[in-house]
Amino acid sequence: MSRVVASLLLCAVCILLALLRKYRTHVVSNPALKYSYYPALILLAALGINYLLTALGANKVYTFQQAVYGLSLGSVYALIALGYTMVYGIIRLINFAHGDIYMVGAYAGYYAVTVMHLPFVPALVIAMVASSVLGVLIERIAYKPLRNSPRITLLITAIGMSLLLENVGQKLFTSTPRTYPTIFKASYEVFGVSVDQSRIIIFAVTVLLMIGLQYFVNYTKPGMAMRALSQDRDAARLMGINVDRVISVTFAVGSALAGAAGILVGIVYPQIKPTMGIMPGLKAFVAAVIGGIGIIPGAMLGGMIIGVSENFVTAYISSSWRDAIAFGLLILILLVKPSGLLGKSVREKV
Amino acid sequence: MQRHPNQLKGSLYWIAASAVGLLILNYLVATDALDWYYAGVLSTAGIYIILTTSLNLINGITGQLSIGHAGFMAVGAYTAALLSVHYDTPFVVNILAAFATAAVAGLVIGLPTLRLKGDYLAIATLGFGEIIRVVIQNLKVTRGAFGIVGITWVDNLFYTEIVVLLSVVIIWRIVNSATGRALIAIREDETAAETMGINTTLYKVMAFAIGSAFAGVAGALYAHRMTYISPNDFTFLKSVDILVMLVLGGLGSITGAVVSAFSLTLLPEFLRFIDEWRMVIYPLLLVVVMLFRPQGLFGTKEIDFGALGAAFRWLKSRFGGAVGSAPQRTVETASPSSGMQTEVQTSSLQPAGVQPDLSGQPGSAAVAPAEPSSRPFLEVNGLSIYYGGLKAVSDFNMSLPEGALHGLIGPNGAGKTTVFNMLTGLHPPSEGEIRFRRKRIDRLPPYRISSEGVARTFQNIRLFKDLTVLDNVKTAFHMNVGYGFGASLVRPPSYGVKERRVTSEAERLLEILGLQERRMELARNLPYGEQRRLEIARALATRPRLLLLDEPAAGMNPQETASLMELIRWIRDEFALTILLIEHDMSLVMRLCERITVLDYGVTIFEGTPDEVKRNPRVIEAYLGQEAN
Repeated sequence: MSRVVASLLLCAVCILLALLRKYRTHVVSNPALKYSYYPALILLAALGINYLLTALGANKVYTFQQAVYGLSLGSVYALIALGYTMVYGIIRLINFAHGDIYMVGAYAGYYAVTVMHLPFVPALVIAMVASSVLGVLIERIAYKPLRNSPRITLLITAIGMSLLLENVGQKLFTSTPRTYPTIFKASYEVFGVSVDQSRIIIFAVTVLLMIGLQYFVNYTKPGMAMRALSQDRDAARLMGINVDRVISVTFAVGSALAGAAGILVGIVYPQIKPTMGIMPGLKAFVAAVIGGIGIIPGAMLGGMIIGVSENFVTAYISSSWRDAIAFGLLILILLVKPSGLLGKSVREKV
Repeated sequence: MQRHPNQLKGSLYWIAASAVGLLILNYLVATDALDWYYAGVLSTAGIYIILTTSLNLINGITGQLSIGHAGFMAVGAYTAALLSVHYDTPFVVNILAAFATAAVAGLVIGLPTLRLKGDYLAIATLGFGEIIRVVIQNLKVTRGAFGIVGITWVDNLFYTEIVVLLSVVIIWRIVNSATGRALIAIREDETAAETMGINTTLYKVMAFAIGSAFAGVAGALYAHRMTYISPNDFTFLKSVDILVMLVLGGLGSITGAVVSAFSLTLLPEFLRFIDEWRMVIYPLLLVVVMLFRPQGLFGTKEIDFGALGAAFRWLKSRFGGAVGSAPQRTVETASPSSGMQTEVQTSSLQPAGVQPDLSGQPGSAAVAPAEPSSRPFLEVNGLSIYYGGLKAVSDFNMSLPEGALHGLIGPNGAGKTTVFNMLTGLHPPSEGEIRFRRKRIDRLPPYRISSEGVARTFQNIRLFKDLTVLDNVKTAFHMNVGYGFGASLVRPPSYGVKERRVTSEAERLLEILGLQERRMELARNLPYGEQRRLEIARALATRPRLLLLDEPAAGMNPQETASLMELIRWIRDEFALTILLIEHDMSLVMRLCERITVLDYGVTIFEGTPDEVKRNPRVIEAYLGQEAN
């Protein structure tokens, strides 16, 4: 028992150290610690988890297997969450249609692979482009005219677009689920844990896209315009930023990421159907909030946390509790730190 | 809020109309003119009416975005179902039990989550709604995903409509009372509401619990109508349905919610001929309505018989030719250039017939000059506040005798408004103590400080912008309406008397501030100077002992400023107030205030009479900079 408590404490300390903002600035200023801090923390946490599993007498291979599954599911959530977080950061809208854009991406990828017989990479590009065009269209037609109306109106419109996409999807693709052909067959074994090639791909593509997005937002001109817009739309306009275009670019990029998630989910979880976007959409938004809305690494972190915890709940408790864990975590985070794990808190000016 | 001038007559109309409607419905069902299928559709419409009006109380009236309403409906439905199946309790008991359990669920969920605002609150309620469903899915007693069968069948349309009517009337009465005004104030501006003495947390949780309770009632009706329920009846999509009905009808409008819930339940029946495209057309319709009428069909307006009458007259004048009684339009008279109308108002605002002394001698009328030896009225010791590492105000001291007219001046960013924020509890001080009439108030929440008798105006005007001028002031009477929540539901004769008294007192205050002409206009449409005066009227309505004015003359022309000065002095005497004011207009401060405190960079640099302040080298330095050598 004491070993369980000790290892839990170790893990908790690691998480706390990773999150403590004040301490981190001190670390970054110290050159010796700057590059070893996070790797050391991760190592320490891994040791703690290993110790915990030994203490609990758990089947380690099974546990790590679940973690691998969780990370690939989490990648999907993370990719969708990135689009949510970008759109929210810029126009403060929970774009409920985002989950359905992901569905359209999955179908675009499906047709690219089956009908056009394209290999993975061109299919991925097609899925991303198709989603991107759809995202921009939705923004232009349904959201742009409402930019100055109450937020709830915009929210309802987004819900309407979401329902519309689902129902048009039912008409266009029929409600019978489609099955992706197997694209990546190989599977590797690492310390007894089987790692499918498809799961490596999904994780790698997600990480690459996130790094690309991080670069785009932080080091390019349109990215800077986006950040300016998310701070103050009117001030950005006065600085000569074409607000409409930046918002369109945001939707384009965010939707492209959802499209990528659509095809990636197809190669690991091959069944796709027109209503597939609802739950992942909601959970991805939850992921974005957990990580800190508007923060790109936060969306990634949140997505992974939800993916992994869902898999653990399914493995150790019951799959029927799976849908509750995301929302349970959400409420916990909102009550403890409403601005999200990586978010900054703001004070209202009176 | 549009309110019928004669409330009693208005509600009699409603009762008569609903009674006739019910009789007709029953007659139709009894004579089989309306077959069981359509009777069923009407029952469903009734259930949605309850759901939509109850969500309106939370979302539309109180302005707290909740999108998990189906969860509370589920709580009520399962309560009724389990009682019915296991104990065979009568329908009425089940309805009441559903009300109670859903209210408790609303309380338990509302208490922690209502600290959140806007989208975060929306997502949290969505999360709770889903969690309720998953819990039901996993509990043994609710038989998981199989659901519960064999609930007693109660499909009497009459019973359903009675419950619907009762629910709508109760919610209507809550909204059209002091409680409703408090809820609307929270929607408009939570901070301002708090300084009007409204316990915003309590009212938000209360609205949430009541709204949830009625969702539970709707759930119970649903269970008894379907006789079979399963967790899949209460998904997120159900919450969305309710939200869509609400927004289409117009957030904040009860009649809008009723009409919209009713027609949206019936709409699919009429769309049957395009059966398979129904589910495509419905969301399309939704998006189109939102694009062309973002405020919903009714906005925040209510249909009442006055409005129906006006519409009828309009139609008559348009098509009938005879313009017998054209709807009266309030003529927008230009506001008097002086802005104050001091002479006109004074005669009517004095019930006792005492002519106010307008000659401007401070302290000459109602208030006896404060005894210098008596314990100070307001005493502030060592007040400091830090934001992170920044000391916004440090070691602020002040001691005001009763009836004082004190000025607080200093360059921009000196911390003057921060002092007000600490005095009113909006920003609790990091250190120090505030004693008001000997009582420590520095750890009290803003609404308690307000009830102790401290009122304020805001530098960046915080009126309830979408309410009328009159309703702004009536809202501020919150602590002094003289009746409770129960009375607003039961409406004994004294309720009407007290409400009328609130209205007449509010009108009196408007008259004093020269806003009588504007009483039916929305606060947002007033010019700047009048908005500032309305803030003063609103502050006075809380019946303060200490009034804090934050730059009352900002944006006024010299003439307006001069009459404002007279007014402030007169108000102080008439209402026996102590006034502390922040102002940048030095001519006003110097002529009006008896003593002045000067702040710079959060530090008190001087306190004294206007003449002393004018001569003090440190003050001159703070304002003009050091003289070059």
